[in-house]
Amino acid sequence: MNLVTKEKRTFSRPMRLLSALMLLGEDVIKVPVFRCQRCGECILSHTGFVCSQRCPKRLRNGPCGGTGEGGTCEVYPERMCIWYLIYRRASLFGRLKMLYRVEKIHNWNLEKTSAWLNVFVKRIEPPKWRVPKGEGWEEAEKEGPSGDSNEGSCAGEVK
Amino acid sequence: MSLREKIAAGKFVVCAELGPPQSCDDGVIRKKAGCFRGVVDAVNITDNQTAIVRLSSIAAGRILLEEGVEPIVQMTCRDRNRIAIQSDLLGAAAMGIENLLCLTGDHQKFGDHPEARGVFDLDSIQLIAAVQQMNAGSLLSGQFLKKAPAFFIGAAANPFAEPLEMRLIRLEKKVRSGAAFIQTQPVFDLDQFSRWLELVRGRGLHEKSAILAGVLPVRSAKALEYMAREVPGMRINPRYLERMRTAAEPQEEGVAIAVEIIGALRAMAGVAGIHLMPVMWESITPRIIQEAGLMPPEAPAPACAPCAGEENPINP
Repeated sequence: MNLVTKEKRTFSRPMRLLSALMLLGEDVIKVPVFRCQRCGECILSHTGFVCSQRCPKRLRNGPCGGTGEGGTCEVYPERMCIWYLIYRRASLFGRLKMLYRVEKIHNWNLEKTSAWLNVFVKRIEPPKWRVPKGEGWEEAEKEGPSGDSNEGSCAGEVK
Repeated sequence: MSLREKIAAGKFVVCAELGPPQSCDDGVIRKKAGCFRGVVDAVNITDNQTAIVRLSSIAAGRILLEEGVEPIVQMTCRDRNRIAIQSDLLGAAAMGIENLLCLTGDHQKFGDHPEARGVFDLDSIQLIAAVQQMNAGSLLSGQFLKKAPAFFIGAAANPFAEPLEMRLIRLEKKVRSGAAFIQTQPVFDLDQFSRWLELVRGRGLHEKSAILAGVLPVRSAKALEYMAREVPGMRINPRYLERMRTAAEPQEEGVAIAVEIIGALRAMAGVAGIHLMPVMWESITPRIIQEAGLMPPEAPAPACAPCAGEENPINP
C-alpha cells in the first residue's frame, strides 16, 4: 500500500506529443465544465464531480475547519467552500460513500499532464466510479474495478 | 505516566495550550510552563497559529520537556512540504517529543505574512497516515528507518462547522488513518456539541479515539464577540454573550462559564477529557482546573503570576 503515487514523468518523444494532445482534449472539456486545475491525478468521480483542487488549500480529503455559516470559504468569504459544494453534490447523486476514501498524497510530477493518459499508461490507479453497495467504508476499497484493494486504505496496515 | 498511558488507562485527561512568543525569548515559555506543571496532563504547543511567525513548536516542546511538562507538538501542513515535515518529525522524535497533533493549518492570508506561498503539500489526514507510516518504520518514499519514531498521534475536529455529516466523515477518516486522540474546537454551544457527540458515539469513534473537548476561558465580552464575528466555524450560544456583557466582573464570569462548561462536558458519555485553551491567559489555568474539581491531589501549589505578554486581540 502506498500513500503516494511514485511515477515520474519519463515519456518518450512520441508519447510526449500524445500527452500534449490528450491534455488539450481533456482541457477543452474539463476546464470549462469542472474548472479543472490540471492536477493530473483526477478524482472527480470520488468528489461528486466538483473539482476539489479549487480549494485554496487544495485539500483532497474533505473541508478544513473554517467552513462558515451557509457554507462559505474562510479564505475568500465571497466564495462557497468547495467541500460544501462537493458534499451537497455527492448527497444529491447518492455518492456520499465515495467521500470516505482516503485520497493519496498528490504527486506533483503529474501536474499539468493528462489524467486520462496517466490512467491509460497505468501511472495512476484508475478512479473508482461505482458507489459501493455495502454498509461500511471497507466496501468502498474492495469494490473498485481495478481489484486493487489496498488503495487509500489506512497506513496502520503498512508493515 | 505519559499522556498515552493516561488515555489508555481511561483517566479523564486535561490538556492545555501554550502559544510560543513572537521572539526568541525562551524565558516566556519557561514562565508559562510554571502555570501548567503538575496541573495539567499535557500542553499543546501551537505551530505558528493563525499563520503568525512564532518560535518553533518543536523547539518550544523541547523547552517544555526540560521544564518537566509533557508537550503535544502541533504540526501543520501550511509551511512545510513532505520533505520538511518528515525531517522535522524525525528531529522531534530524537528530542524526546512523543505527542503530535496533526493539523492542516490556518491559511497564510490570516497571518502576518499574507503574501507567503502556502504549501499544503499534504492535508491533515494524509499527514496522520504519513506519521503512522513513519511509526511503522518507513518514510513516504518507502525508505526504511533504522530507528522508527513512536508518535502518539492526535487530530482536530470541529463539531460546529457545516455540514455536520461531512465533519463526521472527515473525523472517521482521521481515526481510520491512525489518530488516537481528537481535540475539538472550543465548545460554546453545548446542544450542538452533544448532537455531534451522539453521532460520534453512533459510529463508535469515541472507542477508537479519545475525544478531548475544547474549552476556552474568555476575559471579556469583547473577546467573545470577536470570536463570534471573526473566527470562522465557531458557534457561540447567545446566552454566554449576554452573560459576559452584563457581568460586573467579566473575568470572574469568564471563569464561571468555563467551569460550568467543563462540568457539563464531564457529564457527557464519550468525552475522555478536556482541552483548555486559555489564549494568552495561561495564568488562569490552575484556578479553572481547581474550581472544576480536576486538580490532581498531589499537585504542588503552582507559582503562577500573570505571565508577560498576556495581551492579545482575541483575549483582551
